[in-house]
Amino acid sequence: MHRSARDPITEFEELRRLLLSRERAQLRELTDRVSDKERRSQDVAGVLPEAIKMSRERGEELTHALQPAVEGSIKDSIDQRPQVFVDALHPIIGPIVRRSIAESLRRLLQSLNQTLEHTFSWRGLKWRFEALRTGKTFAEVVMLRSLVYRVEQLFLIHRETSLALLHVAADSAVSKDSDMVAGMLSAIQDFARDSFEAGEDSALEEFRVGELQVWIAPGRAAYLAAVIRGNPSRELRSTLEDAIESIHILKGSALTFFQGDTAVFETLRPELESCLQAQYNTEKRGRPTRAWLMLLAIAAVAIFGLILAAQSKSKWKNFLGRLKSQPGIVVTDAQHRWFSSSQVSGLRDASSADPATLSREANLDPSRIRFHWKEFLALDPASVRRRFEQRFSVPTETRIALNDGVLALSGSVPYAWLEQVQREATLIPGVTSIVERDAKIIYDPDLARKRFETRFTLPDSVNAVAVDGALTLSGEASHRWLTRVRAEGAKVPGITSIDDRAVIDLDQRAFEQSRSIIESAFVYFLTNKDDIATEGFAALSRLPDEIRRCENAAKQLGMALTLEIHGYADAVGSEAKNADLRQRRANKVRDFLVSCGFPAAQFKPVGIEQPFKPAASDKAAAEQSDRRVAFTVVTQSSTTSP
Amino acid sequence: MIQKKICMIGASGVGKTSLIAKFVHSMFSDKYLTTVGVKIDKKTVSVDGSEVMLMIWDLEGDDDYQRLQTSYLRGTSGYLLVADGTRQITLDQAIEIQGRVVAAIGPLPFLLALNKADLAPQWEIDEARTDSLSARGWRSFKTSAKEGAGVEEAFIELGRMMTQSK
Repeated sequence: MHRSARDPITEFEELRRLLLSRERAQLRELTDRVSDKERRSQDVAGVLPEAIKMSRERGEELTHALQPAVEGSIKDSIDQRPQVFVDALHPIIGPIVRRSIAESLRRLLQSLNQTLEHTFSWRGLKWRFEALRTGKTFAEVVMLRSLVYRVEQLFLIHRETSLALLHVAADSAVSKDSDMVAGMLSAIQDFARDSFEAGEDSALEEFRVGELQVWIAPGRAAYLAAVIRGNPSRELRSTLEDAIESIHILKGSALTFFQGDTAVFETLRPELESCLQAQYNTEKRGRPTRAWLMLLAIAAVAIFGLILAAQSKSKWKNFLGRLKSQPGIVVTDAQHRWFSSSQVSGLRDASSADPATLSREANLDPSRIRFHWKEFLALDPASVRRRFEQRFSVPTETRIALNDGVLALSGSVPYAWLEQVQREATLIPGVTSIVERDAKIIYDPDLARKRFETRFTLPDSVNAVAVDGALTLSGEASHRWLTRVRAEGAKVPGITSIDDRAVIDLDQRAFEQSRSIIESAFVYFLTNKDDIATEGFAALSRLPDEIRRCENAAKQLGMALTLEIHGYADAVGSEAKNADLRQRRANKVRDFLVSCGFPAAQFKPVGIEQPFKPAASDKAAAEQSDRRVAFTVVTQSSTTSP
Repeated sequence: MIQKKICMIGASGVGKTSLIAKFVHSMFSDKYLTTVGVKIDKKTVSVDGSEVMLMIWDLEGDDDYQRLQTSYLRGTSGYLLVADGTRQITLDQAIEIQGRVVAAIGPLPFLLALNKADLAPQWEIDEARTDSLSARGWRSFKTSAKEGAGVEEAFIELGRMMTQSK
């Protein structure tokens, strides 16, 4: 069989295929894997967890490399979908906050309780005295006397590097540079271990310096060092051991891979702070009773204060209500203040009620209220009424009503008061007129009499007595005065009738007297002649004066006077002669009187036929003969007033 | 803030304690050195913009370096090896001590401080000696506790070495 010549290149390729076919397939697959992105991702995903684990074991490099990316993605996530983080953190934030608050409250109560105990108790006073005596501060004495123990400082120290990872201290503890103290604590431990050739695992567990003890709670990668004042109980050790154990659980890897960054341990602070315990020597342990009592007392005081405040507020409201409802007061601004004077401003009519009195009525101290009033005239009926009442003290039986400026009086109204009101009431702003229609006016008899006396100028000779409006007069008075009184007396307010029967009319009496004298005067004549007998002259000579007196009196009485001259003659002789004789005798007397200046018309001389009839008592006259002239006074109302 | 523990190591009398006295925050007296064998001070340095707090363990200088208390070295991130430039022997001791330190806690960043640089006339350590150390990767600073020269720089440099090596 002949083998055909073949191309050497093809042969080489053939050879290569035979020899390397398996490797070539593998190479192809590898190339595919490297160039195919999806497959490469699958490969990386397979080894990534293991790679991260290994990287962590080698150190913090991966952590630092990932830090910016992780921080960035967390920030983005919070910005865009905060709810996811809220949901995730919600279950742990609540307990953390609660624990923190409970811890703060516990410490506050404890400290408050101690303060109170030390402040108010007998022992507290004793300590104060001791502090004074020894020159120590009170706090030092209290510490010395009452403290059982107190954890003052806690160091969380990295075992390998001796660096302080975290340091917490009680508020009042003196703490020096924690980093250096932590270092020295480690050094002392090393020193002790080395000096006494104790094993690597053994540790200095506690040591005492004066009042202080240092307790070490060891852990695998870190340990806790507690600086304690006083004598701690054994329970404290288990507390510390629990704490370091939980710290290792929480921060195990951070402790293992610690590279000097202490910030990550900051979250352990509450854990450590809860170990800052203290125990004090008190009679009653456990519950801070005094603190509760004090809180209760404070609450009681606060409640009492609130009640007082509410009462005060209500008093103030009541007062303001009263003030605002007062006529003549307009409140424009009112401020109630607790610690300074309260203020009230507004307008006030002078006649209105006194605000200070109102405040007293509302149980408020007026000296704690400052009033700022501007005066004004209130025209509301109540203010006008009050103003009226202040000006005129209204008698108890009198009732007043005010309507549109009209003051209506009713009931019993004393006349004198009414008179003043009528005179002056309209001077009061708001009163325009007075109506007393419905009033029963009461007159004081005495005042009525006085009014009468003033009006009529009571003469001294007249006495006036008033009883129930009836005025009884007695004494003497001129006719003119009496006439006036009779005409106008009852017009005097308070006088209803006048009885003047007991008053002698002086003019009337004078007239009567004169008339009586005139009419009892006789002028005698000689027998059978018209010549006046001697005794007749005496009578005649007195007549003119008497006539004038009578005339004057009559004039006062408002009368004109005429005198009838009656001539008489005796029966001797003839009647005709006698008639002539009678007339002549009368004429003779008239002529005489005319000659005395009287007008002739005033006399009426007549002869009287009948014999003269003397009055029975007049014996002398009877003895005389009828040869006489007698007079009769005749009056008639004067045309001219007296 | 990052914290780092460092140690000051060297024979007695090389001026370790006075080297840092001016530069650190101190609260313990020097008595600690002779009693406990260590004194701890604190110094904050700024390394490339970030603050690093150095907890400085000043170990008692002991000529009998067999007794070097290696337990104090545990957890340290680096150390300052101090020698007295005016006494050749202290450099030899420093080299011996460094060997012991490496044996005890392994290789760590460190700096050699040649102290008492202010006493130039008495200077015993020649350039050739320091060059040969440089060739072994040792970095050295001339420092003066009296004048304060080089100390700050040494701490900063050590801080930088420690933060980069982590």
